[in-house]
Amino acid sequence: MSRYYEFFCPVKVIAGEAALEHLPYELTGIASVRPMIITDAGVRAAGLLDPVIAACEESAVTIAAIYDEVPPDSSTTIVRDIANLYRQQQCDAIIAIGGGSSIDTAKAVNILVSEGGDDIAAYSGAGVLTRPLRPFFVIPTTAGTGSEVTSVAVIADTERSVKLPFTSSFLLPNAAIIDPRMTLTLPPHITAATAMDALTHATEAYTCLAKNPLSDAYATAAIRKIGRSLLAVMDNPDDAKGRLDLAEASTMAGIAFSNSMVGLVHSLGHATGAICHLPHGLCMSLYLPYVLEYNLEDIREPLAELLLYLEGPEVWSATPASRRAEATISAIRHLRDELHHRCELPRTLRETGKLKEDQLDAIARQALDDGSIIYNPREASLKEVRSILDKAWG
Amino acid sequence: MLESFSRSTARRARRQYVGMMFRFMGHALEAISRFDKTVIDEASALPEGLVFQMTVLPAGPSLAVEHTGGGSLRYLGSHYQGPVDLSIRFKHLAHAFLVLSFQEKTVEAFANDRMVVDGDIALAVRMTRILNRLEAIILPRLVARRAVKEYPSELGLLEKVPGAIGVYRRVAFSMIRDLRKEGLSQ
Repeated sequence: MSRYYEFFCPVKVIAGEAALEHLPYELTGIASVRPMIITDAGVRAAGLLDPVIAACEESAVTIAAIYDEVPPDSSTTIVRDIANLYRQQQCDAIIAIGGGSSIDTAKAVNILVSEGGDDIAAYSGAGVLTRPLRPFFVIPTTAGTGSEVTSVAVIADTERSVKLPFTSSFLLPNAAIIDPRMTLTLPPHITAATAMDALTHATEAYTCLAKNPLSDAYATAAIRKIGRSLLAVMDNPDDAKGRLDLAEASTMAGIAFSNSMVGLVHSLGHATGAICHLPHGLCMSLYLPYVLEYNLEDIREPLAELLLYLEGPEVWSATPASRRAEATISAIRHLRDELHHRCELPRTLRETGKLKEDQLDAIARQALDDGSIIYNPREASLKEVRSILDKAWG
Repeated sequence: MLESFSRSTARRARRQYVGMMFRFMGHALEAISRFDKTVIDEASALPEGLVFQMTVLPAGPSLAVEHTGGGSLRYLGSHYQGPVDLSIRFKHLAHAFLVLSFQEKTVEAFANDRMVVDGDIALAVRMTRILNRLEAIILPRLVARRAVKEYPSELGLLEKVPGAIGVYRRVAFSMIRDLRKEGLSQ
């Protein structure tokens, strides 16, 4: 445990039944009369915009513009186009509705419409922004990324083939609205993968180098909710209470990891996503147990504590103290097996069918240069990373 | 009065220590990149011409090195004013002192938000590995354990001792040369 830490989360969280209906009140509270919605085609097709628009119309708030073509990997061109639409329609606030891509895109659009210009690349990096941006609200439609409470965004610069990172506390939204209606229609495999993403955020936040008492509190609360509700939601997708649990867990895990960072699971996941285009949540699920095994002797104590939150007090008290860390890893493996049984979420790289074994060297090399690796408790060498990948291959 | 004097003396000493350590590290990075294969391999992947600066905010001591190609680093001095591609900036002199006096590991300083990285994070990770390698080579094992996350298990005395002698010898020559230059310019 560090002798020093920083913790920051100024995002108002509006969560629970009929949470969406609070949005008009929040908008009028900041005198916004022409908000813009940024979302993707899937969200619109699933009818998830309807309750938001209806809630606004009932309160006499008019949505001035809707952009619903955000792709899974957003780009600087799209950010520029949306910013132009915002200016043409004279909007005065942004509402992001969707998963990580829509939220990141909206963060980048907010930079351009607040700071001016068309070149979002000029604002890339840390600490470039020096003043608050336009009013910004986020309504997540997946329960995993935690982007609604993180101060980062990543946008692809397709012309230069690089990913541009943006880091600033000014990217944080005014409020995140967590409504169980928004995740009720998530397909089972996405529910599973995104929940494993949140579980990984919380687990790495609790076991990596920058852990601190406040992020620990959020991480353990998130793990408790995932342990309690993930399989219940998989068995009964209409379980609104369980859906809310997972959405809240995602937000809490997001708060935890944005204040204590993540480790080697994310390094491997980022590299695998970049090279093989596997979804981020799936990558997290694939690597989590193997990295925990690799880190085991350095994280035995916190990992043992997580058994209580993941499996509950009965299992925790029935497990000898010396075996609790291993039991936590077994519980995560068991959870993956159950998810595989219910929706065929792959448990090994081989099971994904999207990778070739000869790509593992490239993944290992790229993972070694990922920023998250700094926060991993062990100093992983190329050989060790390759060994973890061999185990994850299956 | 006496207390205030001793506090300001301690602060001055701390600033001088950090400045001296930056200067030592700058020369040491240049030195080790001439012969240590691990450092050369790591530095080879940096873009040629990349300038890395480590400094203390707002205008504290600093070091700057340039990758001149082939894994070779060149120390640009402690007053470098040119463009910088990658920088690690300590938020306060006290934070730099914690790291440079081996009371806090470099990765702990990252984890504790003591530093701000500006530039490509992947390159910053690579530079951190180079700094770790330097510390593992030149510091006694007990001190190095306090400076790096994990002391490299494969680093034996047969590699460490000649490496350390090589770095200290080159740094000594370079610092004497610096002092002569400074003497001539005064």
